[in-house]
Amino acid sequence: MSETQNDAGNLQCVTFTLEDEIYGIDVMQVQEVLREVEVAPVPGAPHYVLGIINLRGNVVSVIDARTRFGLPTKESDDMTRIIVIEAQQQIIGILVDSVAEVVDIDRKDIDTAPNVGNSETAKYIDGVVSRGDNLLILVDLNKLLSEEEWGEIANF
Amino acid sequence: MAIDLEDEILQDFLVEAGEILETLNEQLVDLEQAPDDADLLNSIFRGFHTIKGGGSFLSLTNLVEVCHKSEDVFNLLRNNELQLNADMMDAFLRVLDELNAMFEQIRSGEDPSPADPALIQQLIEMQDPDAVSAAPEAPAETAQDGEPATDEAVADAVDEAAAEAAAASDPAAAVEEFVSGSDEITDEEFESLLDALHGPSGKPKPVDIDSGKAADTEPPATPDAPAGGDGDEITDEEFEALLDELHGPGGKPKPVEAPPPATGDSDEITDEEFEALLDEMHGKGKAPTPPKKDKASSGTPADAAPDATKKPEPAAKGAAAAKPQAAAKPAAGGSKPAAKPAKSAARKEPAAPKGETTVRVDTARLDDIMNLVGELVLTRNRLNTLRQTFDDERVHKAISSLDVVTADLQTAVMKTRMQPVKKVFGRFPRVVRDLARSLGKEVQLELEGEETDLDKNLVEALADPLVHLVRNSVDHGIEMPDVREQAGKPRQGRVVLSAQQEGDHIVLSIIDDGAGMDPEVLRQKVIEKGLMDPETASRLDDKACFDLIFLPGLSTKDQISDVSGRGVGMDVVKTKISQLNGTIDIDSKLGEGTALRIKVPLTLAILPTLMVQLGRRKFALPLSIVNEIFEFSSKKVSVVDGREVVLNRGKAPPIFYLRKWLLNDHEAHEDYEGDPHVIMVQVGNESVGFVVDQVIGQEEVVIKPLDRLLQGLPGMAGSTITGDGNIAIILDVPGLLKAYA
Repeated sequence: MSETQNDAGNLQCVTFTLEDEIYGIDVMQVQEVLREVEVAPVPGAPHYVLGIINLRGNVVSVIDARTRFGLPTKESDDMTRIIVIEAQQQIIGILVDSVAEVVDIDRKDIDTAPNVGNSETAKYIDGVVSRGDNLLILVDLNKLLSEEEWGEIANF
Repeated sequence: MAIDLEDEILQDFLVEAGEILETLNEQLVDLEQAPDDADLLNSIFRGFHTIKGGGSFLSLTNLVEVCHKSEDVFNLLRNNELQLNADMMDAFLRVLDELNAMFEQIRSGEDPSPADPALIQQLIEMQDPDAVSAAPEAPAETAQDGEPATDEAVADAVDEAAAEAAAASDPAAAVEEFVSGSDEITDEEFESLLDALHGPSGKPKPVDIDSGKAADTEPPATPDAPAGGDGDEITDEEFEALLDELHGPGGKPKPVEAPPPATGDSDEITDEEFEALLDEMHGKGKAPTPPKKDKASSGTPADAAPDATKKPEPAAKGAAAAKPQAAAKPAAGGSKPAAKPAKSAARKEPAAPKGETTVRVDTARLDDIMNLVGELVLTRNRLNTLRQTFDDERVHKAISSLDVVTADLQTAVMKTRMQPVKKVFGRFPRVVRDLARSLGKEVQLELEGEETDLDKNLVEALADPLVHLVRNSVDHGIEMPDVREQAGKPRQGRVVLSAQQEGDHIVLSIIDDGAGMDPEVLRQKVIEKGLMDPETASRLDDKACFDLIFLPGLSTKDQISDVSGRGVGMDVVKTKISQLNGTIDIDSKLGEGTALRIKVPLTLAILPTLMVQLGRRKFALPLSIVNEIFEFSSKKVSVVDGREVVLNRGKAPPIFYLRKWLLNDHEAHEDYEGDPHVIMVQVGNESVGFVVDQVIGQEEVVIKPLDRLLQGLPGMAGSTITGDGNIAIILDVPGLLKAYA
């Protein structure tokens, strides 16, 4: 695990897919990846919060990445995963279409000013990396759960 | 000075001083009832002293000053040199408030701001009239025990001695200054004073004074150090040694020698001895007067005389002057046992060597343990669910014993978190006293069942509502003394605050013998305020009328005085109590008084619930509010006022379909073959029915709060993990009704 430190300009990312895009999250923020488990909806919760799950005795909220990124919802299938991440001192699950791999990225390769995806997605994007034919979109988890979102929840 | 909150010494000090402050609060109020209780006075004195010691170690000067001045006054009080009066009580209580405020500041990392100078001035003035008699504590104490007549004589004697000593030499003058009550002597001054004293005779500085002084800077760390930061702990041997040091080779039959024997065995310093002591003092003071026996025996009259005069002086005065000073302490410590021999000695003895039987534990650690036990309970529940699938007798046995052990463990851990309700009750004597005094009422507060244990969180959560209710009782319940007299009641009103355990609940009651409430007035009030139409109001029975005081609109200040709340409304109290899954019940008789009963569960961590099923989802309702469960039948449902109601026991409470509220559209339309029931819940004065698909049963659950993302959702109290490993949402019924009904 020591190599996963963000040293030497390298960044390790867990990649996951939504629709046909590939996204990446800093591996240091990922705690584990779960196959989809029973999510208990919480009445009155914001629309992008799917509900809560029992993670070995701890109750963890799960948000739907599709809804969060303004993508149409999709029935979950065999590939569906919940990535459990830690950001801003809290543990949150993110429901994604599938989880692919862990990749090494040279920070130099990160392009910070792309304009891809719709505006909803753009808010949470840290940068993009071109990998062969594909574009890897780096997600900023802190923004994903940022203060304005708390405001939004409060207004709910 | 910046305050280092990480400092362990500071933390220890805060904890310890916090406890002392709490005790002081109680003691001061007690003191008002028994102003002559010497034990109480001593213990208050020590309380201030200990805080002061700790404070000065941590350089909390402002804190030290207040403690110091209070200590001075209490020293006079405990020596019967001052008489306690109500103004002084007020001042002391203000001191306590100031100290509490300072501790708040320290806790938030600030340097405590100086106390109100007026208060300090008041404290100083308190001791001022007695500046003269302040000197001779030793005689005063002795007098108290034996010979009151000598009191003044002693004062005179010592004064005289002091005066003459002053005339005698320079160091003596310093002593005299000291005697005259200048509190501001610093350590250095004191030291130089000592030097001056011993300088002439070329004696080494007394060892004991040194160690005493050293101890003085250490008490925060080791308050019980044998060296005795507060001087009380000095042993007879040490004292004797100290005396020897003071008087050195020259002083064999010295005046001060009289006390030691007294210290040793009793406070029975005889009149003769005492007289002799006085003589000696006088004799010494007047160096050139005809030699007394002791002087003669000392052999070096010229030298010994001034010497001796000075020696007893600091000792006597040190004991006397309210130990004004850190530095004065050692001397005080030395002479105190002599002054009030058996008394302090006897008390000290049993107190000092008590072995440590308790351990301080961070509450966070207790919370962790509680959480783990919670997990265990859940696992046990799960195993219980699974056990049907096992066909092995041994597995059943194992699970059964696990069941028992877990239950025991749960109780045991719960007990570690328990605190006596005294912790809350302790503040009430003060609250009642202050309020009664400001209102000009006479109120006697009785506390019952203070030892009843309650979950720590509950103790904290209950404090505010209780204060509010007790204030209400005093403010609005108890009448003015004259009014009471006219009504044929004793002038002094009575408020009883009691706690008792009833099964797994705690019942707290606040009973007053005041005016009581008039249901009619309350009826009028709700109608006036437009909170209820006249017809509805007239249908309320008396009890329902009393419950009206919990309505939000009713507790405003313009409300008639016998019911209204102030500041926080009664509705807030009610809300708070329901948050704790408790209930509040009120009963009153016009002219006879009011009784409020609060019933709360013993603990908050584990909640007995009723599990119900809606579609495929499970929800938990706090069992405490469930009144009744009966089968749902559409035949019993009718529509009144556009609301569905169900006929039950001659009443028609409204019913709500939880399905419609709690399941999302998609799920709500799924059919579920269940056995629908109506669960009647009591929310405030209202009874409503919830229709659920199926009642699963009773289950003790551990509340898992929802995380930040979901916190504050209306109607959701938290979640829990059920016996089958799934998640159930715990409903907050009042919130649910507010949000959805």
